[in-house]
Amino acid sequence: MLELRSLARHFGGVRAVDGLNLTVQDGQIFGLIGPNGSGKSTTVNVIAGLLPPTAGTILFRGEDIGPLPTHRRLRAGIARTFQNIRLFGQLSVWQNLWVAQNSAEDLARRGFFTRWLGGQSGVRDEIARLLEFSGLAHKQNELAANLAFGEQRRLELARALAARPKLLLLDEPAAGMNSEEVGQLRERILSLRGSGVTILLVEHVMELVMGVTDRIAVLNFGQKIAEGTPAEIQAHPAVRKAYLGGEAA
Amino acid sequence: MLDFLQAVSDGVLFGATYALIGIGFTLVFGVMHKINMAYAAASVGGAYAGLLVLQVMAGAPPWLVFLGAFLAGGVLGWMVYALCFHFIPLSNPLATLMSTVGMLLLIDEVIVHVTAGMPQNYPAMFDDVMLRAGEFSMRGDLLLVFAVSVLAMIGLLALLYRTSLGLATRAVSQQPVAAQLCGIRLVRVNALTFVVTGLLGGLAGAMIGASVGTLSPLLTTPLTVKGLIVTVIGGLGSIPGAILAGLLVGGFENVLQLYRGVTERDLYVMLLLFAFLTFRPGGLFAAKSGRD
Repeated sequence: MLELRSLARHFGGVRAVDGLNLTVQDGQIFGLIGPNGSGKSTTVNVIAGLLPPTAGTILFRGEDIGPLPTHRRLRAGIARTFQNIRLFGQLSVWQNLWVAQNSAEDLARRGFFTRWLGGQSGVRDEIARLLEFSGLAHKQNELAANLAFGEQRRLELARALAARPKLLLLDEPAAGMNSEEVGQLRERILSLRGSGVTILLVEHVMELVMGVTDRIAVLNFGQKIAEGTPAEIQAHPAVRKAYLGGEAA
Repeated sequence: MLDFLQAVSDGVLFGATYALIGIGFTLVFGVMHKINMAYAAASVGGAYAGLLVLQVMAGAPPWLVFLGAFLAGGVLGWMVYALCFHFIPLSNPLATLMSTVGMLLLIDEVIVHVTAGMPQNYPAMFDDVMLRAGEFSMRGDLLLVFAVSVLAMIGLLALLYRTSLGLATRAVSQQPVAAQLCGIRLVRVNALTFVVTGLLGGLAGAMIGASVGTLSPLLTTPLTVKGLIVTVIGGLGSIPGAILAGLLVGGFENVLQLYRGVTERDLYVMLLLFAFLTFRPGGLFAAKSGRD
């Protein structure tokens, strides 16, 4: 599904990502962890097309998507959520989903003017399903800016799913959540398994990462220091060292 | 008292054109967070271009001139985008300000050159109609100006709030990064915003020409300043604010013209700007920030 080959992204002299090799298989839920500043978010930004890579290639379903402009990535099948929430605050919950859904169906090709707001029944059904999935059906006419924090996170996830992506990038979806909300998020992510979407999960909350992922890669200083199943990672000495800062226990 | 009411009424009717100019400034600001200083000049330029209809077809009806101005305004809007924004780094906050000031002067120069600096007569419609209620009256041509402007505003609001293009535009103005990741092409939305505001501007320019009776290059500077004042008073980025502020400024200046004379009135309009900047800097409707 996704393959990074010697991916690098430098900011001046800082090597945020430095020769990263990574392969995510179809249908996997893949965890990307590491201390602050280890290059996780930069990796997501490069895959999503917000930052051009300094070097290396990004293969998505066998094709090099490096030259693909940002707005085309969604159509190619890549959607993401943001660590700091980026909803369309002055649009309603329903419209937030509609924008993504509509774009997924190629806004440009079908033309801007061809359809008036309201959408076809297929689109409406899909949005209704997503509202149900994220528990926001009763808030569909609320402005996104007026939602509670946890609801905004759920809406971001729903908006990313609205585009029916093949690869979903989740950038710290549990940040700022209490443990009950993390539990709900975990159920949601697990329910996506088998729906055909591959997930790259960047997360600090170990409870979530260890509970949902099939495989985990650990970054430190922009490089991969370990990769394996959650159980292997938990036992890995280099990981403990990177996280605890001391010598391997 | 009657004089006062008459002045308010005439001023508010004419103020609809200020509202359109204010909308143009505010819409570009809302979408790109940039000020297009060339907007009022391009609007006057569109109105001038409408006169070409009379060159091609002598005796063409006024509405055809207005239509010509409307379409020419859209083309000019696109040209302003292409020259002043598309190839200029948007991350530099001053670059596009300078490029649009340059464009304002360029359009001015072109107008002066083509017309040899002579004011041009502009056609009007219903200028022989006068609605009367006792001593109070309403000029037919001003009523048309008002009606056309209101229709243009309704059209714009329908576009913004009832079409997918409008939704994309609002999405970009609130959260450009996420909008791109939702598959929206920023460049396309930006360019279309300039075309749409250009269309409105061309129409506003034609309506100003129709109600004044002439167009002259001397119009561009005061119109630029009034458009900016309307934008500030309405609240940067707020369309309802620009509409209300346009009508307000129109009525305000006409009342002052009645009591203080035409040479003194703009002085008070400027003072109104300072009053707003001091006491209500966010304008009547400070735009809610949905953008980081």
